[in-house]
Amino acid sequence: MIQFKDVVKTYPGGVTALRGVNLEIQQGEFVAIIGLSGAGKSTLLRSINQMHTITSGSLKVNGVEVSSLKGEDLRRFRRKIGMVFQSFNLVKRTTVIKNVLAARVADMSLWKSLLGVYTKADKILALEALDNVGILEKAYVRADMLSGGQQQRVALARCLAQKPDIILADEPVASLDPLTSQQVMADFVKINRQFNITVVANMHHVDIATKYAKRIIGIKAGEIVFDGPSEKLTNDILTEIYGRDLTKDDFMGEA
Amino acid sequence: MINWIKEQLHPAPLTLSNGKVVTPKRSAMVYVVPLLVVLTLWAMDITRFNFITLFRRGGQFFVMIGRMIPPDWAYFPSIIEPLIETIMMSITGTLVGAALALPLAFLSSDNIIRNKVFLWVNRLFFSVLRTLPILVFALLFKYIFGIGAFAGTLAIAFFTWLIMTKMLYEIVETIDMGPFEAIESSGATRLRAFWSAIMPQILGQYISITLYNFEMNVRSAAILGYVGAGGLGLLLNEKLGWRQYDKVGLILFALLLTVYAIESTSRLIRKKLS
Ligand SMILES: Nc1ncnc2c1ncn2[C@@H]1O[C@H](COP(=O)(O)OP(=O)(O)OP(=O)(O)O)[C@@H](O)[C@H]1O
Ligand SMILES: [Mg+2]
Repeated sequence: MIQFKDVVKTYPGGVTALRGVNLEIQQGEFVAIIGLSGAGKSTLLRSINQMHTITSGSLKVNGVEVSSLKGEDLRRFRRKIGMVFQSFNLVKRTTVIKNVLAARVADMSLWKSLLGVYTKADKILALEALDNVGILEKAYVRADMLSGGQQQRVALARCLAQKPDIILADEPVASLDPLTSQQVMADFVKINRQFNITVVANMHHVDIATKYAKRIIGIKAGEIVFDGPSEKLTNDILTEIYGRDLTKDDFMGEA
Repeated sequence: MINWIKEQLHPAPLTLSNGKVVTPKRSAMVYVVPLLVVLTLWAMDITRFNFITLFRRGGQFFVMIGRMIPPDWAYFPSIIEPLIETIMMSITGTLVGAALALPLAFLSSDNIIRNKVFLWVNRLFFSVLRTLPILVFALLFKYIFGIGAFAGTLAIAFFTWLIMTKMLYEIVETIDMGPFEAIESSGATRLRAFWSAIMPQILGQYISITLYNFEMNVRSAAILGYVGAGGLGLLLNEKLGWRQYDKVGLILFALLLTVYAIESTSRLIRKKLS
């Protein structure tokens, strides 16, 4: 369970990105966060695994106060949280399987990680993760040979190889075309159900968010202005979240 | 000409077809060129550089060359060993320096080390060291470890270490940090994230700058003998002193061939890498 209590985040430059966020996400939920650019979506997501440290308030994951974690404790905590990015963040010059195996280095002894020797169990785990997202046959292809959608699946497989409890996805399909986006989102849903992994995803497109996530969180200028099931997201609420009428850009459109 | 200079000093405003007027900025060259001219004249004055001496004595250069031709081919067997020593000094020195440069570059990259104070002190210390020419290191190591190839190799290793560290961290600082962030978010230390996310990205360039440094080091290795740090330079110094110009000619010829062979091979590999 993820619990935000009066969470405030002010960046060193003085920008306050989160203004008293209260939130509870149960294990196994699929949550989409929507809001304007600059509303604080990425900040909210990244404070969960302490890629950003919160300024005040309390943020607990499975009962552990995240901001109290440091060094090795923090790293052990992060191993249980996978992350997916808009730009995939793969090492393009190496093979797909090496990219997935990179998720294992945190668990390996130093000399093994330096020499890049992976155990058979790790290799099987990586291949199974690739199989789960349907690109097993690409395992030994260089990452830059893949399409955007395939690259995002590799990134998802890299997450899975971590055996996470939670996956944080920062606009995972914003740079993909509509058809590919739908397929990748379907993979997220499948993984969410199959392994009961919590998925928290920042979404740029409202239609995609409501189609795949059961719960929507609307954030505006660092504050939560909507939190409820996706069916309850009305046009009025959307206008409130976005501070304007929605435009074509806010929807991905038909695939 | 006069008009051209005027235009450089006061660029005329340009009017676009929609009536907007843009005043071009004065080019920085307006300040740079006069500055360079003044600096050059000043430097020539300090160094007593003048063309008269250059023309009067410059001919001596060709006289020297003339004395080296034909080279003493029969002398070749006795330079094989120092020649190999010179190459070995460069290979060992380059490899040691390149290996040490990697960890120091890691500790000097501002996108990996977040402790600003550490970064600043570290960089300052090594940039001061880097201002020293390789001959200074050679002299120093000669006094510590005695005359010979060991001192030379050490000087090359040290120098390569400092230079390559800078070249490497400049590459690391322009790298795509996305994969690094991804690995770090999976709970890996920054060292491991560096190794699995950044190393594959810079490997080609790392090998390439290692080869480039090797090329430079073969040339320095030949000179290092001059201060007693081993290799062919030791012999070159001796033969020049004894005015055995035909032997000097052979040494220079062998050096030329070697450097050329190494450079073209290395360039070929580097081209393949990029
Ligand atoms: N590292 C940072 N340092 C300073 N300010 C930051 C930093 N990251 C984000 N901000 C600021 O915090 C606010 C929220 O940013 P955030 O990235 O969370 O927005 P977002 O909702 O993810 O927007 P987008 O849709 O553009 O990704 C913005 O005003 C942004 O300028
Ligand atoms: Mg964002």
